[in-house]
Amino acid sequence: MKTFLKLGLMGSLGCWLMAADVPVEPVRNAFGSDPWTLPAEKTQLKEGDGLKALSTNCLLCHSMDYVSTQPVLTRAQWTAGVEKMRARFGAVISTNAIPTIVEYLTRNYGRENPKP
Amino acid sequence: MEIMETTMDSLTRRGFLKRTGWAMATVGSALGSMSAESLQLGFENGERPLVKYPQKRPLLQLTARPPQLETPFGVFNESLLTPNDAFFVRYHLTNSPPKAEVLQPGTFRLSIKGNVGTPLSLSMEELKKRFEPAEVVAVNQCSGNSRGFFKPRVAGGQLGHGAMGCARWRGVRLADVLKATSPVAGAKQVVINGLDTPFVPQTPDFIKALEMDQALDPELLLAYEMNGEPLPWLNGFPLRLVVPGHYGTYWIKHIHEITVVNEEFKGFWMNPGYRIPDDPCAAIAPGTAPRRTIPISRFNVRSFITSLGPGAVLKAGQLVVLRGIAFDDGHGIREVLVSDDEGRSWKAADLGKEIDRYAFREWTLRYTPTRVGSATLMARATNRLGQSQPLEPLWNPAGYMRNCVEAVVATVNAS
Repeated sequence: MKTFLKLGLMGSLGCWLMAADVPVEPVRNAFGSDPWTLPAEKTQLKEGDGLKALSTNCLLCHSMDYVSTQPVLTRAQWTAGVEKMRARFGAVISTNAIPTIVEYLTRNYGRENPKP
Repeated sequence: MEIMETTMDSLTRRGFLKRTGWAMATVGSALGSMSAESLQLGFENGERPLVKYPQKRPLLQLTARPPQLETPFGVFNESLLTPNDAFFVRYHLTNSPPKAEVLQPGTFRLSIKGNVGTPLSLSMEELKKRFEPAEVVAVNQCSGNSRGFFKPRVAGGQLGHGAMGCARWRGVRLADVLKATSPVAGAKQVVINGLDTPFVPQTPDFIKALEMDQALDPELLLAYEMNGEPLPWLNGFPLRLVVPGHYGTYWIKHIHEITVVNEEFKGFWMNPGYRIPDDPCAAIAPGTAPRRTIPISRFNVRSFITSLGPGAVLKAGQLVVLRGIAFDDGHGIREVLVSDDEGRSWKAADLGKEIDRYAFREWTLRYTPTRVGSATLMARATNRLGQSQPLEPLWNPAGYMRNCVEAVVATVNAS
């Protein structure tokens, strides 16, 4: 197929079409000698009531982009997410911080539950 | 830099790149040293920064801690095998990847224990010396690849199509290593653990289990090389599991512990983690909950157009060579059809050589657009079992296993 393609393209079609002739083998790793250190975390969340509670309780285990990259989740979905972190992943979140965190997430990264 | 970017936006190239997350190769060659700082994956809230990690070119950062990095889609048109420096990265636990010190030859050891006659503890050198090397060219794909395209949207890692890659893996057979330990009668499962760890001990460690007969399949490798180089740090150095045809969740990285057990392993990441509806298509009605679930296992059939991204401009009457990739769980691709009219008519593409039945299969099609306007280009693959791709997306609550026909909308101008 590749030979056929090349022959077909030799003529008037222009060499840009040769771009379709993609090699099998990848380029070798040009970054093999990088130091083994990770880049700094950069994502910041929106300012708002409850951000402190979220920072204290959630960011020990993961970076802020776990929140900021989510789609617009409903209050119920954010509630389930926080509860999953507590119950399934063993996050140490004080019980009275949970409503504050859910409120922050719903206001800044979510929406109210749709009316039934 | 600010001014340059504004200029590029006005020329729409950067706008195009931001919209599609596609032509990284084009950025590199056409724009010289200038590179985009972020790309748009093609769904709401889908803009991701390009961040440089050790042994990697700048990749789309989903999360920083633990690192989750996606391959810019244009890479899949650079070579059939995915370069190590562009291969996707997915971790689950806070302390990931493990610190370099614990992975070095002087400290790293693999232990095989549990219900075995002869437990083993091996350095990498001993492992390589004792067991015969084996190779496979295989696709690795995250269970949640393309989750960002789910409608309705679901919570979880919001990935485009770049949490997949195909590489040549070299290592030793897991089966050979297991047999050397003489598992005792009644051995049921093999439990596999890597050196990545959670921040608090209450968080379930990322551990996966394989049934004994699957673990003894000679196709499964304990791999130490990827595309002829040692595994990158972020892809499991010095040793990872390769389970051809199966989702990445089983491809445990930085493996240091293999335990043969007589009971079913009940860890979080087997249940309730990584489960799919117990249905032939792993799908249920959007917004509902499954009645019964099973562990996710084998890939379904997928195919992509890689030579063109959304927003591509073609000329009526001018021949182009469309190119793309297809793969399944190892039965092999039998046919790829291409449509330019939203699926009303289809043409068979030419299939490239089958490098390995677990590898990306290249396809090409000489295509001359005829109608001026917008052309919806689609590829649809069928494997040797006759399994194919649905035209409409299926849905499940975890956002796993998307495999519907994907469309690329191009503009066809008069020539």
